[in-house]
Amino acid sequence: MTRQDAPTQAHTPPAAESAGPQGITQDLREAGQRLHPLTLVQRLILSLPGLVFLLLPVWRSPGGEAWFSLVVALVYAVIAVPLIVVQYVRFRYRVTPKELVIRRGVFTVQQRSIPVERIQNIQIERGVLPRLLGTAKVRVETAGSSGAEGVLEYVSLEEAQALRQVIRAYQREQKEDVLPAPPAHSERPAAEVHTAPATDTLFQMPLGRVLLSGAFRFSLFYIAVIFSGLQYLNLDPEEIADWVMRERYGAYTSAVEEVPGWLLAAVGILVAALLGWATGILINLSRYYGFRLWLEEGKLQRRHGLLTVSEGTIPLPKVQALILRTNPLMRRFGWYGLEVQTMGLDVDQAGHQVAVPFGRLGEVERVADTIRPVQLPQAFQRVSPLMVRRLALRYTTGLLALVAVGVYFFEQTALWGLLAWPLLVAYAYLEYRNHGYVLQEDTFYVRRGVLRQHTWVIPAARFQVFYASATLFQRRLDLASLYVDTAGASSMAFPRLQDLPAAEASALLEEVYVRFQETLGPAQPHQDPRHPLPLPVRPEEAAQAPSAEPLSEPPSG
Amino acid sequence: MERLHASIQTVWSIKLGLVWAVLLVAALAYELSHLFVDERTLPLGVLAGLVLVMGLSISLGLPRLRYRTWRYDLRPEELYLEYGILNRVRTIVPLRRIQHLDVSQDVLEREFELGKLIVHTAGSRSSDVVLPGLQYDHAEQLRDEVRTYVLRDTTPDAV
Repeated sequence: MTRQDAPTQAHTPPAAESAGPQGITQDLREAGQRLHPLTLVQRLILSLPGLVFLLLPVWRSPGGEAWFSLVVALVYAVIAVPLIVVQYVRFRYRVTPKELVIRRGVFTVQQRSIPVERIQNIQIERGVLPRLLGTAKVRVETAGSSGAEGVLEYVSLEEAQALRQVIRAYQREQKEDVLPAPPAHSERPAAEVHTAPATDTLFQMPLGRVLLSGAFRFSLFYIAVIFSGLQYLNLDPEEIADWVMRERYGAYTSAVEEVPGWLLAAVGILVAALLGWATGILINLSRYYGFRLWLEEGKLQRRHGLLTVSEGTIPLPKVQALILRTNPLMRRFGWYGLEVQTMGLDVDQAGHQVAVPFGRLGEVERVADTIRPVQLPQAFQRVSPLMVRRLALRYTTGLLALVAVGVYFFEQTALWGLLAWPLLVAYAYLEYRNHGYVLQEDTFYVRRGVLRQHTWVIPAARFQVFYASATLFQRRLDLASLYVDTAGASSMAFPRLQDLPAAEASALLEEVYVRFQETLGPAQPHQDPRHPLPLPVRPEEAAQAPSAEPLSEPPSG
Repeated sequence: MERLHASIQTVWSIKLGLVWAVLLVAALAYELSHLFVDERTLPLGVLAGLVLVMGLSISLGLPRLRYRTWRYDLRPEELYLEYGILNRVRTIVPLRRIQHLDVSQDVLEREFELGKLIVHTAGSRSSDVVLPGLQYDHAEQLRDEVRTYVLRDTTPDAV
């Protein structure tokens, strides 16, 4: 099933030899590998919460009705434990010069081959338990995948790192087969990979910065999660408060009843805000603690996390676009974040990888510059002011519908909702103010968003498909929208340019497309399409060193 | 700028008609089951009649409007599409961005010897751009033209 041809197998990658413990590398190449035996322990521990979850009703109500949960829990234990063992026993993986093969499955065996040249990201994740036990989880992600294609959970840390080096070495080897001369910066010995990262750190966050970034992140979501968890556990917050205050809670509540309602509401909002603020800080602390970004072998390397340390790579040639993010509060104090848009790296973030979670504009620009030269425009070209009218109309309709529903249920009280109308109009205006574009030489900048402000930096060489569209309402006002599609663009927030004057939209569509064609140059046919030749170096690429502008087309293809 | 083959209107009409036929059956079932109910919210036949009229007008009218808005043009460097009744969309698909191509034909289209050309790109909203209502031979011919371009083109994949 593994497609490997003898010649490639015979020739050993130079870097892999010096990489990691020799034995591991050797074993990987020989035959199928098992996961680390401690996987069994970890899986077992990780399955415990499920058991506890099932048994909870039994503990909460020791009466007769809970026997069903008890039976379910027993069945669960009887099935889960052997399943974990069988899963472990049947799991095998191996790396060949061509592919990573993973064979797994309990009831149906699944064998998956991931071609080495398609592997984009090898992420090593270490949660609390793996760190205690010296193991790690390896996630292998490919271009065009939605999520990790292969997950090894768990292998020893040395093995995880060796695996990464071996696969990278094979990737380099394959590239060398295609290209006569490898880029100079990939020549660094692989052994250095994990020992000397401090050399070219692009960005890092000291603890103070991490905490500060959390303070700008406000999240009520997790509070909702906590409260619904309490709900399930049948724990009454009042009971807890009573317990914490040593049964003096009753006295407090009767005192509270004398306080006017508006004050209570204000205090409630304040407490919620404080909780949201605190969770924001905690989330960022756990996610971005020790954040470091550095450049290595033409790849951005990233490492961060408090409890779960994740380590990942973003190959520079795979970067499609840059996204500068901020919000009004952050912008007020001069803070920005940078994300890079890639394809099929991490589905959780819709192809957006955080390069700088929280930094000054200068820092963000410096990091962006290593990916591609960026000159953030001072002023953006605005769209038609009719946008305000359209949005205001849309929001007004929405508000009226909401109020109408409200009146149906709560009668006149709901009419107070109409007071929100000026806010909506103001918001529509702000949206217009924050919306704009600049078409520089070979870069398209699009900015939009009020509460979440995005500025997309899209290189012409990364354009994919071009759209201009006009709805019925837009046509009445002689407006049109423009969208340049890129690989890995999010479906939630994407650089659509809305409500341009129709003529301007048409001209811009034309212009953007012309820039695209000019940037890529004329299509150069092979002499014979059946026998593709090594890629000819195009004149404009020969003029500039490959490392000078990594975002332009990589010569490898 | 070229137009789609006119018989695609019939195909679309039949497809829409089938959907509405299902709704009509549901409406008729409602009418039948409420035939002898005294206190009716809707008079006899109103629901079925409404569904019938809407179904007929939509499945006959919509395909004509849709057909009228469709234009396409295969140019040396790009595929250009224009379509949409409420939302008029113009699309430029650069041929060098095409990753692979399909010509597809369903049962109904086979009766009319029609087919559609589907081009796949790496763009996240343009993973498949569809050009419907082509004569099958013509769809294959277009595919071959595009394929020749894609095979000869040396632009590296940007992804």
